[in-house]
Amino acid sequence: MINFIQSILYGLTIGGILYIISIGLSLTFGAMGIVNFAHGLIYAVGAYALYTVATLLGANFLVGAIAAVVVSIPLAYLIERFIIRRLYGQSIDYAIIATYAVLLIGADALKWFFGASPLPISDPIGELWYFGGLQMPAYRVIIIALSIAVFVGLSLFFKKTLVGKIVVAGLQDREAVRSLGIRVERYFAIVFIIGSALAALGGVLYAPLSTLDPYMGFEIIILCFAVVIVGGMGNLKGTAVAAFGLGLVHSLTAVYLVSSAADAAVYVVMAVVLIFRPIEASA
Amino acid sequence: MLAKIEKNPLLTLALVTVLFLIYGYATSLPKITDFIIFCIFVIGFDLLYGHMGQLSFGHMLYLGAGAYGCSMFANWIYPDPFISILVGIALGAALAALLGTVVVKTSAAAFALLNLALNEVGAYLVLSPLHEWTGGEDGLSLFFNSYGWIDFNDATFRFYFCLGSLLLVTFIVLRLVRSPYGILLKSIKENETRVKFLGYNTFMYKYVTFIISGAIVGFAGALTSVNLAYCNTSLIAPSRNVEVIFAALMGGAGKVMGAIVGGTAFMTISNYLASYIVRWEMFLGVALLAFAFWFRKGIWGYARKL
Repeated sequence: MINFIQSILYGLTIGGILYIISIGLSLTFGAMGIVNFAHGLIYAVGAYALYTVATLLGANFLVGAIAAVVVSIPLAYLIERFIIRRLYGQSIDYAIIATYAVLLIGADALKWFFGASPLPISDPIGELWYFGGLQMPAYRVIIIALSIAVFVGLSLFFKKTLVGKIVVAGLQDREAVRSLGIRVERYFAIVFIIGSALAALGGVLYAPLSTLDPYMGFEIIILCFAVVIVGGMGNLKGTAVAAFGLGLVHSLTAVYLVSSAADAAVYVVMAVVLIFRPIEASA
Repeated sequence: MLAKIEKNPLLTLALVTVLFLIYGYATSLPKITDFIIFCIFVIGFDLLYGHMGQLSFGHMLYLGAGAYGCSMFANWIYPDPFISILVGIALGAALAALLGTVVVKTSAAAFALLNLALNEVGAYLVLSPLHEWTGGEDGLSLFFNSYGWIDFNDATFRFYFCLGSLLLVTFIVLRLVRSPYGILLKSIKENETRVKFLGYNTFMYKYVTFIISGAIVGFAGALTSVNLAYCNTSLIAPSRNVEVIFAALMGGAGKVMGAIVGGTAFMTISNYLASYIVRWEMFLGVALLAFAFWFRKGIWGYARKL
Protein backbone atom coordinates (compact mmCIF):
# COMPACT_ATOMS: atom_id res chain seq x y z
CA MET A 1 0.00 0.00 0.00
CA ILE A 2 2.83 2.37 0.94
CA ASN A 3 4.47 1.39 -2.33
CA PHE A 4 1.32 2.18 -4.27
CA ILE A 5 0.93 5.62 -2.70
CA GLN A 6 4.58 6.31 -3.32
CA SER A 7 4.36 5.45 -7.00
CA ILE A 8 1.29 7.67 -7.28
CA LEU A 9 3.23 10.53 -5.77
CA TYR A 10 6.13 9.89 -8.17
CA GLY A 11 3.62 9.93 -11.03
CA LEU A 12 2.28 13.25 -9.83
CA THR A 13 5.80 14.67 -9.93
CA ILE A 14 6.21 13.67 -13.58
CA GLY A 15 2.69 14.90 -14.25
CA GLY A 16 3.41 18.27 -12.65
CA ILE A 17 6.48 18.79 -14.79
CA LEU A 18 4.61 17.66 -17.91
CA TYR A 19 1.87 20.15 -17.07
CA ILE A 20 4.29 23.04 -16.68
CA ILE A 21 5.93 22.25 -20.03
CA SER A 22 2.76 21.42 -21.94
CA ILE A 23 0.68 24.46 -21.14
CA GLY A 24 2.54 26.70 -23.60
CA LEU A 25 2.36 24.04 -26.29
CA SER A 26 -1.35 23.60 -25.72
CA LEU A 27 -2.05 27.32 -26.02
CA THR A 28 -0.02 27.71 -29.24
CA PHE A 29 -1.69 24.67 -30.72
CA GLY A 30 -5.16 25.80 -29.68
CA ALA A 31 -4.74 29.46 -30.62
CA MET A 32 -2.87 29.19 -33.89
CA GLY A 33 -3.12 25.55 -34.89
CA ILE A 34 0.67 25.36 -34.97
CA VAL A 35 2.39 22.15 -33.95
CA ASN A 36 5.43 23.66 -32.30
CA PHE A 37 8.34 21.24 -32.00
CA ALA A 38 10.62 24.19 -31.10
CA HIS A 39 9.04 24.11 -27.64
CA GLY A 40 11.27 21.12 -26.89
CA LEU A 41 14.31 23.25 -27.65
CA ILE A 42 13.34 25.86 -25.06
CA TYR A 43 12.90 23.11 -22.50
CA ALA A 44 16.41 21.81 -23.23
CA VAL A 45 17.89 25.31 -23.20
CA GLY A 46 16.34 25.86 -19.77
CA ALA A 47 18.02 22.75 -18.42
CA TYR A 48 21.39 23.69 -19.94
CA ALA A 49 21.14 27.26 -18.62
CA LEU A 50 20.68 25.75 -15.17
CA TYR A 51 23.72 23.54 -15.74
CA THR A 52 25.84 26.50 -16.87
CA VAL A 53 24.92 28.71 -13.95
CA ALA A 54 24.59 26.16 -11.16
CA THR A 55 27.36 23.68 -12.03
CA LEU A 56 29.87 25.52 -14.20
CA LEU A 57 29.64 28.89 -12.44
CA GLY A 58 28.91 27.33 -9.07
CA ALA A 59 25.88 29.44 -8.22
CA ASN A 60 22.79 28.43 -6.30
CA PHE A 61 20.09 26.19 -7.92
CA LEU A 62 17.54 28.97 -7.52
CA VAL A 63 19.77 31.44 -9.35
CA GLY A 64 20.16 28.83 -12.09
CA ALA A 65 16.42 28.45 -12.37
CA ILE A 66 15.97 32.20 -12.69
CA ALA A 67 18.73 32.35 -15.31
CA ALA A 68 16.97 29.61 -17.31
CA VAL A 69 13.72 31.55 -17.36
CA VAL A 70 15.53 34.79 -18.25
CA VAL A 71 17.40 33.13 -21.14
CA SER A 72 14.27 31.52 -22.51
CA ILE A 73 12.38 34.81 -22.98
CA PRO A 74 14.52 36.39 -25.74
CA LEU A 75 14.89 32.98 -27.39
CA ALA A 76 11.12 32.52 -27.40
CA TYR A 77 10.71 36.02 -28.79
CA LEU A 78 13.09 35.27 -31.66
CA ILE A 79 11.37 31.98 -32.48
CA GLU A 80 7.95 33.65 -32.40
CA ARG A 81 9.07 36.62 -34.47
CA PHE A 82 11.02 34.81 -37.17
CA ILE A 83 9.50 31.34 -37.36
CA ILE A 84 6.03 31.02 -35.85
CA ARG A 85 4.70 34.32 -37.16
CA ARG A 86 5.52 33.36 -40.73
CA LEU A 87 3.51 30.16 -40.41
CA TYR A 88 0.12 31.60 -39.43
CA GLY A 89 -2.60 30.49 -41.78
CA GLN A 90 -0.36 28.18 -43.79
CA SER A 91 -0.55 24.46 -44.29
CA ILE A 92 0.20 22.67 -41.05
CA ASP A 93 2.94 20.57 -42.67
CA TYR A 94 5.24 23.55 -43.04
CA ALA A 95 4.73 24.45 -39.38
CA ILE A 96 5.73 20.93 -38.35
CA ILE A 97 8.75 20.89 -40.65
CA ALA A 98 10.00 24.39 -39.80
CA THR A 99 9.68 24.05 -36.02
CA TYR A 100 11.28 20.61 -36.19
CA ALA A 101 14.18 22.20 -38.06
CA VAL A 102 14.56 24.75 -35.24
CA LEU A 103 14.67 21.91 -32.71
CA LEU A 104 17.32 20.16 -34.79
CA ILE A 105 19.47 23.29 -35.11
CA GLY A 106 19.17 23.98 -31.38
CA ALA A 107 20.05 20.42 -30.39
CA ASP A 108 23.15 20.55 -32.56
CA ALA A 109 24.13 23.90 -31.06
CA LEU A 110 23.79 22.44 -27.54
CA LYS A 111 25.95 19.51 -28.59
CA TRP A 112 28.50 21.95 -29.94
CA PHE A 113 28.77 23.92 -26.69
CA PHE A 114 28.28 21.20 -24.10
CA GLY A 115 29.29 17.95 -25.79
CA ALA A 116 27.14 14.92 -26.51
CA SER A 117 27.63 13.00 -23.27
CA PRO A 118 24.89 13.09 -20.62
CA LEU A 119 25.45 15.58 -17.83
CA PRO A 120 24.12 14.99 -14.32
CA ILE A 121 22.64 17.63 -12.03
CA SER A 122 22.36 16.85 -8.35
CA ASP A 123 19.19 17.15 -6.33
CA PRO A 124 19.27 20.72 -4.93
CA ILE A 125 17.66 19.77 -1.60
CA GLY A 126 18.73 16.19 -1.15
CA GLU A 127 16.49 15.53 1.87
CA LEU A 128 13.83 12.93 2.43
CA TRP A 129 10.61 13.98 4.08
CA TYR A 130 8.57 11.48 6.05
CA PHE A 131 4.79 11.41 6.11
CA GLY A 132 3.86 8.58 8.49
CA GLY A 133 5.52 5.52 6.96
CA LEU A 134 5.86 7.24 3.63
CA GLN A 135 9.13 8.76 2.52
CA MET A 136 9.41 11.24 -0.30
CA PRO A 137 12.35 13.28 -1.57
CA ALA A 138 11.61 16.86 -0.56
CA TYR A 139 12.42 17.97 -4.10
CA ARG A 140 9.53 15.96 -5.53
CA VAL A 141 7.08 17.33 -2.96
CA ILE A 142 8.13 20.84 -3.95
CA ILE A 143 7.61 20.06 -7.65
CA ILE A 144 4.04 18.92 -6.99
CA ALA A 145 3.36 22.05 -4.93
CA LEU A 146 4.91 24.26 -7.59
CA SER A 147 2.89 22.75 -10.43
CA ILE A 148 -0.30 23.29 -8.45
CA ALA A 149 0.79 26.89 -7.85
CA VAL A 150 1.38 27.34 -11.59
CA PHE A 151 -2.07 25.96 -12.32
CA VAL A 152 -3.73 28.32 -9.84
CA GLY A 153 -1.64 31.24 -11.07
CA LEU A 154 -2.51 30.63 -14.71
CA SER A 155 -6.19 30.17 -13.90
CA LEU A 156 -6.21 33.54 -12.14
CA PHE A 157 -4.26 35.10 -15.01
CA PHE A 158 -6.81 33.94 -17.58
CA LYS A 159 -9.81 34.83 -15.42
CA LYS A 160 -8.80 38.14 -13.90
CA THR A 161 -6.40 39.99 -16.19
CA LEU A 162 -7.30 41.76 -19.42
CA VAL A 163 -4.56 40.02 -21.41
CA GLY A 164 -5.75 36.65 -20.13
CA LYS A 165 -9.37 37.39 -20.96
CA ILE A 166 -8.47 38.47 -24.51
CA VAL A 167 -6.49 35.28 -25.03
CA VAL A 168 -9.32 33.09 -23.75
CA ALA A 169 -11.76 34.92 -26.01
CA GLY A 170 -9.31 34.57 -28.91
CA LEU A 171 -9.12 30.83 -28.33
CA GLN A 172 -12.91 30.64 -28.65
CA ASP A 173 -13.29 32.83 -31.71
CA ARG A 174 -10.29 34.60 -33.14
CA GLU A 175 -12.20 36.49 -35.82
CA ALA A 176 -14.73 37.94 -33.40
CA VAL A 177 -11.98 39.28 -31.13
CA ARG A 178 -10.14 40.73 -34.08
CA SER A 179 -13.27 42.47 -35.29
CA LEU A 180 -13.36 44.35 -31.99
CA GLY A 181 -10.16 46.03 -33.09
CA ILE A 182 -7.90 43.94 -30.86
CA ARG A 183 -4.73 42.64 -32.48
CA VAL A 184 -5.18 39.21 -31.03
CA GLU A 185 -1.93 37.84 -32.49
CA ARG A 186 0.03 40.18 -30.20
CA TYR A 187 -1.67 38.75 -27.17
CA PHE A 188 -0.99 35.25 -28.40
CA ALA A 189 2.67 36.24 -28.74
CA ILE A 190 2.69 37.27 -25.07
CA VAL A 191 1.18 33.95 -24.10
CA PHE A 192 3.70 32.17 -26.32
CA ILE A 193 6.53 33.77 -24.37
CA ILE A 194 4.92 32.97 -20.99
CA GLY A 195 4.45 29.37 -22.12
CA SER A 196 8.07 29.19 -23.24
CA ALA A 197 9.33 30.53 -19.93
CA LEU A 198 7.32 27.78 -18.23
CA ALA A 199 8.89 25.21 -20.58
CA ALA A 200 12.33 26.40 -19.51
CA LEU A 201 11.20 26.09 -15.88
CA GLY A 202 10.07 22.55 -16.68
CA GLY A 203 13.55 21.80 -18.02
CA VAL A 204 15.05 23.10 -14.78
CA LEU A 205 12.71 21.02 -12.65
CA TYR A 206 13.26 17.82 -14.61
CA ALA A 207 17.06 18.10 -14.77
CA PRO A 208 17.83 16.72 -11.26
CA LEU A 209 15.50 13.74 -11.83
CA SER A 210 17.31 12.71 -14.99
CA THR A 211 20.42 13.76 -16.93
CA LEU A 212 20.91 16.42 -19.57
CA ASP A 213 21.65 15.54 -23.14
CA PRO A 214 21.37 17.65 -26.28
CA TYR A 215 18.46 15.57 -27.59
CA MET A 216 16.36 15.76 -24.41
CA GLY A 217 13.95 18.11 -26.21
CA PHE A 218 12.95 15.43 -28.73
CA GLU A 219 11.88 12.97 -26.06
CA ILE A 220 9.88 15.36 -23.93
CA ILE A 221 8.10 17.08 -26.82
CA ILE A 222 6.34 13.90 -27.90
CA LEU A 223 5.18 13.23 -24.34
CA CYS A 224 3.92 16.81 -24.26
CA PHE A 225 2.03 16.33 -27.51
CA ALA A 226 0.40 13.36 -25.84
CA VAL A 227 -0.67 15.63 -22.97
CA VAL A 228 -1.99 18.30 -25.33
CA ILE A 229 -3.93 15.80 -27.41
CA VAL A 230 -5.40 13.96 -24.45
CA GLY A 231 -6.29 17.19 -22.67
CA GLY A 232 -7.63 19.06 -25.67
CA MET A 233 -5.78 21.89 -27.36
CA GLY A 234 -5.99 25.23 -25.58
CA ASN A 235 -7.97 23.67 -22.77
CA LEU A 236 -6.37 24.76 -19.49
CA LYS A 237 -8.15 22.36 -17.17
CA GLY A 238 -7.94 19.52 -19.67
CA THR A 239 -4.19 19.97 -20.00
CA ALA A 240 -3.77 19.79 -16.22
CA VAL A 241 -5.92 16.67 -15.91
CA ALA A 242 -4.17 15.00 -18.85
CA ALA A 243 -0.69 15.85 -17.56
CA PHE A 244 -1.30 14.39 -14.12
CA GLY A 245 -3.20 11.43 -15.60
CA LEU A 246 -0.41 10.59 -18.02
CA GLY A 247 2.16 11.09 -15.27
CA LEU A 248 0.30 8.45 -13.27
CA VAL A 249 0.11 6.12 -16.28
CA HIS A 250 3.86 6.58 -16.77
CA SER A 251 4.76 5.89 -13.16
CA LEU A 252 2.33 3.01 -12.56
CA THR A 253 3.39 1.27 -15.78
CA ALA A 254 7.01 1.60 -14.75
CA VAL A 255 6.35 0.20 -11.27
CA TYR A 256 3.75 -2.48 -11.89
CA LEU A 257 4.35 -3.61 -15.50
CA VAL A 258 7.69 -3.13 -17.21
CA SER A 259 9.89 -0.14 -16.50
CA SER A 260 10.88 0.32 -20.14
CA ALA A 261 7.23 0.37 -21.23
CA ALA A 262 6.43 3.63 -19.44
CA ASP A 263 6.88 5.91 -22.46
CA ALA A 264 5.17 3.45 -24.80
CA ALA A 265 2.14 3.34 -22.46
CA VAL A 266 1.78 7.12 -22.75
CA TYR A 267 1.94 6.92 -26.56
CA VAL A 268 -0.71 4.20 -26.54
CA VAL A 269 -3.04 6.47 -24.57
CA MET A 270 -2.29 9.26 -27.05
CA ALA A 271 -3.02 7.01 -30.02
CA VAL A 272 -6.28 5.80 -28.49
CA VAL A 273 -7.43 9.35 -27.80
CA LEU A 274 -6.52 10.44 -31.33
CA ILE A 275 -8.53 7.55 -32.71
CA PHE A 276 -11.67 8.10 -30.66
CA ARG A 277 -11.62 11.88 -30.34
CA PRO A 278 -9.78 13.17 -33.39
CA ILE A 279 -8.64 16.79 -33.35
CA GLU A 280 -10.01 19.01 -36.08
CA ALA A 281 -7.77 20.25 -38.83
CA SER A 282 -7.29 23.96 -38.45
CA ALA A 283 -5.26 24.68 -41.57
CA MET B 1 13.46 19.88 -71.71
CA LEU B 2 13.35 17.98 -68.43
CA ALA B 3 9.62 18.52 -68.24
CA LYS B 4 9.27 16.85 -71.65
CA ILE B 5 11.31 13.86 -70.57
CA GLU B 6 9.21 13.64 -67.42
CA LYS B 7 6.04 13.24 -69.49
CA ASN B 8 7.26 10.01 -71.07
CA PRO B 9 7.62 7.17 -68.53
CA LEU B 10 10.16 5.25 -70.63
CA LEU B 11 12.41 8.27 -71.11
CA THR B 12 12.17 8.95 -67.37
CA LEU B 13 13.22 5.41 -66.52
CA ALA B 14 16.07 5.54 -69.04
CA LEU B 15 17.30 8.82 -67.59
CA VAL B 16 17.20 7.42 -64.05
CA THR B 17 19.06 4.28 -65.12
CA VAL B 18 21.79 6.12 -66.99
CA LEU B 19 22.37 8.64 -64.21
CA PHE B 20 22.54 5.97 -61.50
CA LEU B 21 24.92 3.83 -63.60
CA ILE B 22 27.22 6.81 -64.13
CA TYR B 23 27.01 7.79 -60.47
CA GLY B 24 27.55 4.20 -59.33
CA TYR B 25 30.58 3.50 -61.48
CA ALA B 26 32.05 6.96 -60.86
CA THR B 27 31.91 6.57 -57.07
CA SER B 28 31.20 3.19 -55.53
CA LEU B 29 28.47 0.68 -56.30
CA PRO B 30 27.69 -0.43 -52.70
CA LYS B 31 27.21 3.17 -51.61
CA ILE B 32 24.95 4.07 -54.53
CA THR B 33 22.88 0.97 -53.75
CA ASP B 34 22.05 2.68 -50.45
CA PHE B 35 21.03 5.81 -52.32
CA ILE B 36 18.76 3.83 -54.66
CA ILE B 37 17.00 2.08 -51.78
CA PHE B 38 16.49 5.38 -50.00
CA CYS B 39 14.89 6.75 -53.18
CA ILE B 40 12.35 3.91 -53.07
CA PHE B 41 11.58 4.89 -49.46
CA VAL B 42 11.10 8.53 -50.48
CA ILE B 43 8.78 7.56 -53.35
CA GLY B 44 6.63 5.54 -50.94
CA PHE B 45 6.55 8.36 -48.41
CA ASP B 46 5.85 11.01 -51.03
CA LEU B 47 2.83 9.10 -52.28
CA LEU B 48 1.19 10.16 -49.03
CA TYR B 49 2.79 13.55 -48.55
CA GLY B 50 3.12 14.88 -52.07
CA HIS B 51 0.21 13.21 -53.81
CA MET B 52 -2.34 12.79 -51.03
CA GLY B 53 -1.34 15.81 -48.93
CA GLN B 54 -0.87 14.08 -45.57
CA LEU B 55 2.42 14.39 -43.72
CA SER B 56 3.28 11.22 -41.85
CA PHE B 57 5.76 11.62 -39.03
CA GLY B 58 6.00 7.90 -38.41
CA HIS B 59 6.97 6.25 -41.65
CA MET B 60 10.03 4.58 -40.17
CA LEU B 61 7.50 2.13 -38.73
CA TYR B 62 6.76 0.72 -42.18
CA LEU B 63 10.42 0.75 -43.14
CA GLY B 64 11.08 -1.21 -39.97
CA ALA B 65 8.21 -3.58 -40.71
CA GLY B 66 9.75 -4.37 -44.09
CA ALA B 67 13.24 -4.76 -42.69
CA TYR B 68 12.19 -6.91 -39.74
CA GLY B 69 9.72 -8.93 -41.81
CA CYS B 70 12.46 -9.76 -44.27
CA SER B 71 15.23 -10.47 -41.79
CA MET B 72 13.08 -12.40 -39.30
CA PHE B 73 11.82 -14.66 -42.08
CA ALA B 74 15.36 -15.21 -43.37
CA ASN B 75 16.68 -15.79 -39.87
CA TRP B 76 14.04 -18.01 -38.35
CA ILE B 77 12.24 -19.72 -41.22
CA TYR B 78 14.09 -19.99 -44.50
CA PRO B 79 16.99 -17.91 -45.89
CA ASP B 80 15.58 -17.43 -49.38
CA PRO B 81 16.15 -13.81 -50.49
CA PHE B 82 13.09 -13.47 -52.70
CA ILE B 83 10.57 -14.92 -50.28
CA SER B 84 12.12 -12.84 -47.49
CA ILE B 85 11.74 -9.63 -49.46
CA LEU B 86 8.15 -10.55 -50.33
CA VAL B 87 7.46 -11.17 -46.64
CA GLY B 88 8.90 -7.74 -45.88
CA ILE B 89 6.61 -6.09 -48.45
CA ALA B 90 3.63 -8.07 -47.18
CA LEU B 91 4.32 -7.11 -43.57
CA GLY B 92 4.62 -3.43 -44.51
CA ALA B 93 1.34 -3.60 -46.43
CA ALA B 94 -0.44 -5.63 -43.75
CA LEU B 95 0.62 -3.24 -41.00
CA ALA B 96 -0.53 -0.29 -43.13
CA ALA B 97 -3.84 -2.06 -43.78
CA LEU B 98 -4.31 -2.71 -40.07
CA LEU B 99 -3.30 0.72 -38.76
CA GLY B 100 -4.69 2.55 -41.79
CA THR B 101 -8.25 1.78 -40.75
CA VAL B 102 -7.82 4.31 -37.95
CA VAL B 103 -4.91 6.47 -39.12
CA VAL B 104 -6.46 7.44 -42.46
CA LYS B 105 -9.57 8.81 -40.78
CA THR B 106 -7.52 11.57 -39.18
CA SER B 107 -5.89 14.43 -41.03
CA ALA B 108 -3.30 17.21 -40.76
CA ALA B 109 -1.69 17.44 -37.32
CA ALA B 110 -3.56 14.41 -35.98
CA PHE B 111 -2.32 12.29 -38.89
CA ALA B 112 1.29 13.33 -38.32
CA LEU B 113 1.19 12.84 -34.56
CA LEU B 114 -0.78 9.59 -34.61
CA ASN B 115 1.78 8.09 -36.99
CA LEU B 116 4.54 9.32 -34.70
CA ALA B 117 2.89 7.73 -31.65
CA LEU B 118 2.44 4.41 -33.45
CA ASN B 119 6.04 4.50 -34.62
CA GLU B 120 7.21 5.04 -31.03
CA VAL B 121 5.15 2.08 -29.86
CA GLY B 122 6.44 -0.07 -32.73
CA ALA B 123 10.05 0.82 -31.96
CA TYR B 124 9.47 -0.08 -28.32
CA LEU B 125 7.87 -3.42 -29.23
CA VAL B 126 10.83 -4.36 -31.42
CA LEU B 127 13.35 -3.31 -28.81
CA SER B 128 11.88 -4.87 -25.72
CA PRO B 129 8.95 -7.32 -25.64
CA LEU B 130 9.80 -8.96 -28.98
CA HIS B 131 13.57 -8.97 -28.50
CA GLU B 132 13.79 -12.75 -28.59
CA TRP B 133 12.67 -12.71 -32.21
CA THR B 134 13.97 -9.33 -33.34
CA GLY B 135 17.34 -9.51 -31.62
CA GLY B 136 16.61 -6.43 -29.49
CA GLU B 137 19.45 -3.94 -29.51
CA ASP B 138 21.89 -6.35 -31.14
CA GLY B 139 19.69 -6.82 -34.20
CA LEU B 140 19.85 -9.72 -36.62
CA SER B 141 22.46 -10.73 -39.17
CA LEU B 142 21.36 -12.07 -42.54
CA PHE B 143 22.71 -14.86 -44.70
CA PHE B 144 20.98 -15.82 -47.93
CA ASN B 145 21.01 -18.84 -50.19
CA SER B 146 22.47 -18.12 -53.60
CA TYR B 147 21.25 -19.59 -56.87
CA GLY B 148 23.97 -19.52 -59.52
CA TRP B 149 24.52 -15.91 -60.52
CA ILE B 150 21.66 -14.75 -58.32
CA ASP B 151 23.79 -14.05 -55.31
CA PHE B 152 22.75 -11.45 -52.76
CA ASN B 153 26.16 -11.61 -51.11
CA ASP B 154 27.60 -9.96 -54.21
CA ALA B 155 27.55 -6.14 -54.08
CA THR B 156 27.32 -5.71 -57.85
CA PHE B 157 24.32 -8.03 -58.06
CA ARG B 158 22.64 -6.12 -55.23
CA PHE B 159 23.23 -2.85 -57.09
CA TYR B 160 21.52 -4.10 -60.24
CA PHE B 161 18.74 -5.77 -58.29
CA CYS B 162 18.00 -2.56 -56.38
CA LEU B 163 18.22 -0.45 -59.51
CA GLY B 164 15.72 -2.79 -61.16
CA SER B 165 13.49 -2.49 -58.09
CA LEU B 166 13.65 1.29 -58.23
CA LEU B 167 12.70 1.28 -61.92
CA LEU B 168 9.79 -1.06 -61.19
CA VAL B 169 8.51 1.07 -58.31
CA THR B 170 8.97 4.28 -60.31
CA PHE B 171 7.06 2.81 -63.23
CA ILE B 172 4.18 1.57 -61.06
CA VAL B 173 3.85 4.85 -59.18
CA LEU B 174 4.09 6.90 -62.39
CA ARG B 175 1.28 4.85 -63.90
CA LEU B 176 -0.68 5.13 -60.67
CA VAL B 177 -0.52 8.90 -60.24
CA ARG B 178 -1.32 9.54 -63.90
CA SER B 179 -4.34 7.23 -63.90
CA PRO B 180 -7.85 8.51 -63.05
CA TYR B 181 -7.17 7.16 -59.57
CA GLY B 182 -4.13 9.41 -59.19
CA ILE B 183 -6.01 12.43 -60.46
CA LEU B 184 -8.72 11.79 -57.91
CA LEU B 185 -6.04 11.51 -55.25
CA LYS B 186 -4.75 14.94 -56.20
CA SER B 187 -8.29 16.31 -56.03
CA ILE B 188 -8.61 14.91 -52.52
CA LYS B 189 -5.42 16.76 -51.63
CA GLU B 190 -6.84 20.01 -52.96
CA ASN B 191 -10.32 19.75 -51.50
CA GLU B 192 -11.55 16.57 -49.92
CA THR B 193 -15.02 17.86 -49.06
CA ARG B 194 -15.76 18.65 -52.68
CA VAL B 195 -14.64 15.22 -53.86
CA LYS B 196 -16.84 13.68 -51.18
CA PHE B 197 -19.84 15.65 -52.42
CA LEU B 198 -19.22 14.33 -55.93
CA GLY B 199 -20.08 10.94 -54.50
CA TYR B 200 -16.63 9.38 -54.18
CA ASN B 201 -15.72 7.33 -51.16
CA THR B 202 -12.63 9.37 -50.29
CA PHE B 203 -11.75 7.17 -47.32
CA MET B 204 -11.34 4.15 -49.58
CA TYR B 205 -9.03 6.02 -51.96
CA LYS B 206 -6.90 7.30 -49.10
CA TYR B 207 -6.88 3.91 -47.40
CA VAL B 208 -5.70 2.10 -50.54
CA THR B 209 -3.01 4.73 -51.05
CA PHE B 210 -1.88 4.25 -47.46
CA ILE B 211 -1.53 0.50 -48.04
CA ILE B 212 0.38 1.01 -51.30
CA SER B 213 2.68 3.44 -49.51
CA GLY B 214 3.18 0.89 -46.71
CA ALA B 215 4.05 -1.80 -49.25
CA ILE B 216 6.56 0.39 -51.11
CA VAL B 217 8.18 1.57 -47.89
CA GLY B 218 8.22 -2.04 -46.64
CA PHE B 219 9.99 -2.99 -49.88
CA ALA B 220 12.59 -0.30 -49.22
CA GLY B 221 13.00 -1.62 -45.67
CA ALA B 222 13.47 -5.20 -46.87
CA LEU B 223 16.06 -4.09 -49.42
CA THR B 224 17.87 -2.03 -46.77
CA SER B 225 18.26 -5.04 -44.51
CA VAL B 226 19.32 -7.22 -47.46
CA ASN B 227 21.88 -4.65 -48.57
CA LEU B 228 23.32 -4.14 -45.09
CA ALA B 229 23.08 -7.88 -44.32
CA TYR B 230 21.74 -6.96 -40.91
CA CYS B 231 18.74 -5.37 -39.32
CA ASN B 232 18.73 -3.39 -36.10
CA THR B 233 16.60 -0.83 -34.28
CA SER B 234 18.05 2.10 -36.25
CA LEU B 235 15.82 0.93 -39.12
CA ILE B 236 12.71 1.67 -37.06
CA ALA B 237 13.91 4.66 -35.01
CA PRO B 238 11.25 7.43 -35.06
CA SER B 239 13.94 10.10 -34.90
CA ARG B 240 15.05 9.22 -38.44
CA ASN B 241 11.72 10.25 -39.94
CA VAL B 242 13.10 13.70 -40.55
CA GLU B 243 15.46 12.29 -43.19
CA VAL B 244 12.71 11.13 -45.50
CA ILE B 245 10.62 14.27 -44.96
CA PHE B 246 13.62 16.39 -45.78
CA ALA B 247 14.45 14.36 -48.89
CA ALA B 248 10.89 14.64 -50.20
CA LEU B 249 10.79 18.37 -49.53
CA MET B 250 14.22 18.96 -51.02
CA GLY B 251 13.49 17.10 -54.23
CA GLY B 252 10.03 18.56 -54.62
CA ALA B 253 6.93 16.94 -53.15
CA GLY B 254 4.24 15.58 -55.42
CA LYS B 255 6.50 14.52 -58.28
CA VAL B 256 7.92 11.02 -58.62
CA MET B 257 11.11 12.36 -60.16
CA GLY B 258 11.28 14.87 -57.32
CA ALA B 259 11.41 11.99 -54.84
CA ILE B 260 14.30 10.39 -56.72
CA VAL B 261 16.21 13.67 -57.04
CA GLY B 262 15.57 14.50 -53.38
CA GLY B 263 16.56 11.03 -52.16
CA THR B 264 19.81 11.11 -54.11
CA ALA B 265 20.60 14.68 -53.11
CA PHE B 266 19.93 13.97 -49.43
CA MET B 267 22.07 10.83 -49.40
CA THR B 268 24.86 12.63 -51.25
CA ILE B 269 24.85 15.43 -48.70
CA SER B 270 24.68 13.12 -45.70
CA ASN B 271 27.36 10.75 -47.03
CA TYR B 272 29.90 12.99 -48.68
CA LEU B 273 29.25 16.49 -47.37
CA ALA B 274 28.96 15.28 -43.77
CA SER B 275 32.68 14.55 -43.75
CA TYR B 276 33.41 18.18 -44.66
CA ILE B 277 30.69 19.93 -42.68
CA VAL B 278 31.24 19.36 -38.99
CA ARG B 279 27.95 20.83 -37.84
CA TRP B 280 26.02 18.53 -40.08
CA GLU B 281 22.71 18.56 -38.21
CA MET B 282 22.71 22.33 -38.02
CA PHE B 283 23.25 22.49 -41.77
CA LEU B 284 20.37 20.07 -42.24
CA GLY B 285 18.12 22.18 -40.03
CA VAL B 286 18.94 25.43 -41.81
CA ALA B 287 18.41 23.80 -45.20
CA LEU B 288 15.11 22.36 -43.98
CA LEU B 289 14.00 25.85 -42.92
CA ALA B 290 15.02 27.27 -46.29
CA PHE B 291 13.05 24.64 -48.18
CA ALA B 292 10.02 25.07 -45.90
CA PHE B 293 9.97 28.86 -46.25
CA TRP B 294 11.37 29.80 -49.65
CA PHE B 295 11.89 26.83 -51.96
CA ARG B 296 8.71 24.86 -51.59
CA LYS B 297 8.86 23.46 -55.09
CA GLY B 298 12.13 21.70 -54.35
CA ILE B 299 15.08 21.06 -56.65
CA TRP B 300 13.08 19.15 -59.25
CA GLY B 301 10.29 21.74 -59.20
CA TYR B 302 12.76 24.38 -60.38
CA ALA B 303 14.98 22.15 -62.51
CA ARG B 304 12.21 20.71 -64.66
CA LYS B 305 11.44 24.15 -66.05
CA LEU B 306 14.93 24.42 -67.56
